[in-house]
Amino acid sequence: MSSRRPPRGEYIETDTGNKVARKATLVGTQNIILGGKTVIQPDVMIRGDLVRTIQPASQSATGAAPNNTAVSIGRYCFLSRGCCLRPPGRLYKGAFTYMPLRIGDHVFVGPASVVQAASIGSHVHIGAKVAIGEFAIVKDYVRILDGTVVPPHMVIPSFSIVAGQPARLIGEVPEGGHEAFELRDLYRTVGNNPQPTPV
Amino acid sequence: MAALTPYTYIQCPCSDSPTLGRPSDASSPTSPEPDEDDRTFDPRAPRSNYSLYPLEYLLYCEDCHQIRCPRCVAEEIVTYYCPNCLFEVPSSNLKSEGNRCTRSCFQCPICIGPLAVTSVETKPDPSLLAAPDNTATPHSGPYALTCSYCNWTSTEVGIKFDKPNGIHAQLAKLRNGGATRMTAKERKERRKDPAFRAAAAAAIGSREQEDLDLETQFANLKMFYQNQLAHPNSADTGLSGLGDLGFSSPTSLSRIMSLYTGGGLQDKKAKSRVGAMREALDPDEGFQLASLDESAAIAQLQAETLDDTASAAQLLDQPPNIGEEHLYGRGRFASELRPIPYLLRTKRSKRCPMCRHIISKPEAKVQTTRFRIRLIAGSYIPSIAIRPLAISSGSSASGPAVPGALLEPLKPAHYLLTFKNPIFEPVKVTLGAPSKTPGRFASKVTVLCPDFEIDANTDVWDEALRETGERDREKERRRRRGEDGNHNNNNNHNQLEVGKIWERGRNWVSIVVEVVPASLALVAGQGPLREDEDVLEIPMFVRVEWEGDAGGDEVGSAPGGDKEVREKRELAYWCVLGLGRIRQ
Repeated sequence: MSSRRPPRGEYIETDTGNKVARKATLVGTQNIILGGKTVIQPDVMIRGDLVRTIQPASQSATGAAPNNTAVSIGRYCFLSRGCCLRPPGRLYKGAFTYMPLRIGDHVFVGPASVVQAASIGSHVHIGAKVAIGEFAIVKDYVRILDGTVVPPHMVIPSFSIVAGQPARLIGEVPEGGHEAFELRDLYRTVGNNPQPTPV
Repeated sequence: MAALTPYTYIQCPCSDSPTLGRPSDASSPTSPEPDEDDRTFDPRAPRSNYSLYPLEYLLYCEDCHQIRCPRCVAEEIVTYYCPNCLFEVPSSNLKSEGNRCTRSCFQCPICIGPLAVTSVETKPDPSLLAAPDNTATPHSGPYALTCSYCNWTSTEVGIKFDKPNGIHAQLAKLRNGGATRMTAKERKERRKDPAFRAAAAAAIGSREQEDLDLETQFANLKMFYQNQLAHPNSADTGLSGLGDLGFSSPTSLSRIMSLYTGGGLQDKKAKSRVGAMREALDPDEGFQLASLDESAAIAQLQAETLDDTASAAQLLDQPPNIGEEHLYGRGRFASELRPIPYLLRTKRSKRCPMCRHIISKPEAKVQTTRFRIRLIAGSYIPSIAIRPLAISSGSSASGPAVPGALLEPLKPAHYLLTFKNPIFEPVKVTLGAPSKTPGRFASKVTVLCPDFEIDANTDVWDEALRETGERDREKERRRRRGEDGNHNNNNNHNQLEVGKIWERGRNWVSIVVEVVPASLALVAGQGPLREDEDVLEIPMFVRVEWEGDAGGDEVGSAPGGDKEVREKRELAYWCVLGLGRIRQ
């Protein structure tokens, strides 16, 4: 493993503990907020350039500085190889605008998944090859199984397990399953100095 | 074939019929089956299907000291809420409005995706195309429900709405095709109208039928029978002998009506009455001629394809529509399906079935995910993780190096079982596994170390300091490795030795299980391989013993009095280790 590692290190580790792969594609980095301790694997794409063009009426009226966050990600998130985060867009008062994409803490996004949700809560597990439609709202403690297609504007309440095309509720997260969403241990196993998985 | 990740299922004691999950009591008479204790649990028995659960699904009752599964807990509903708008529905509304969301939350009848209210785009008139204020009012009626997943819209069944809000109330008044439906109140008011009466009188003469929907028909019938009970027609008492049993007898009628209308109609006087009553004769009394002419449906079936008929799943998702015209011949075609109001979801608390203590209780608010009480089995009984173990040094022994690889028949394989102790006391674990797995294909199983002790889960700081003291942790890890004389990369140092623990950590212990998978070659006369019969499953009896504080409960065997008294506890249960599939 150590022999394959590039000399500079595969990841850029920031002061707040983010581990961002050098091969990840982050567009519009000034519009992307990482909460810290987030892992971004190679070939991940985050479209920070799709920033909101129309500010909400309340803000433009007060003359406050425009909020240019396109994607905000909480702590201990894990973006697997080849996934894509893209802010959703829609017509607003006759003009097209993007809306920010908000992601909570301990969110796992599986490989080759596309996320266009309006908001994703904390402790969410998104499997591989999942498509989350525009303006979907995913609440806390939700498990989205591999290959699911979440339709646009769908709301997934807490403690749901969804699967299928389109996504339908197939079960509830049991009481004892909350700890499985923790991504602290997974965070340590990647990076330039990966630790073995604790028992 | 899908790769199988190793799994551990634990059997809930509630499925043992003699004990029913009660704590074992020495004074009680022994189980009717004398060989109950000797019997090996068979994970493939049909009964086992319902008693095996992953650890996460199990709860634990602190008073009974017993595992509780989703099947044996008693659930109580804390909150009802709509899964789409996340609004709480008070239980009083539930009685009147039913178990569906009465806001504007609907699911697509074709694909169950969420429906959104959109304004129907009216085709602009060519002559008005030049008009500058064409886009001035982009949001104006009529409105329709549209599915963003399959592009179904409610205009396909001819339903449009005047307002973008209160869709549920509007939909209740609309029939497929856009025709409005009268509510019972409107119908009653219409009857008082003299103009309508005259028209109705003429209609009766011409044998014209008024279409009744289910709700009105039921209301009319109910009113008619109530009148009948109040004023029994004493004239026709033709079949007095059979009258008490037939549908037209007052006693059976009042019994049936009390069943369907909630008991308010039970008339004490009716019991004494004998005699038949007449049946409904006209639509005002709830009489509805059955239209047995199905030629239209048959013609439509011939014209359309199978895809145009509603599937069983789609029909099941349809809510009962009391605005329907007829019960018969309804919704056979996908083009007749109506939007589905979202079914409400619940938050539920769980009670122990024996002592009635609450073992899980979520916060009542819809948006919070916290629990007031959450006694999960995972914080009381050791978890078991399974990992294949590849040993290169052993000449004969080998295991699948890649997780999920198929097991070679008749070739010994090794698996590492890691037991992790969640409680703050050291526990003693005793394992028992049959030497041969039950079922048609018996694999040989050897647990190399069936008896061991796991240290307590005391050092909470260790976990917390891990993040900050990265270097210290690394040092500690190295030290631990040095002590035990094994390193992950050179496992060959470890010798497979009977009665010896493979690896040991702060609150975990790894042991080795050797299996010799059975050959799946079918002997003549045996049936074909059944589903999942190639999965190597080991039943294992786990007995956990520890010394805990004698909590102030009376359930424990230790007599109360001394606060410092330590109580010996034990918990024993069957579990099933699914290791992998055997190559066929």
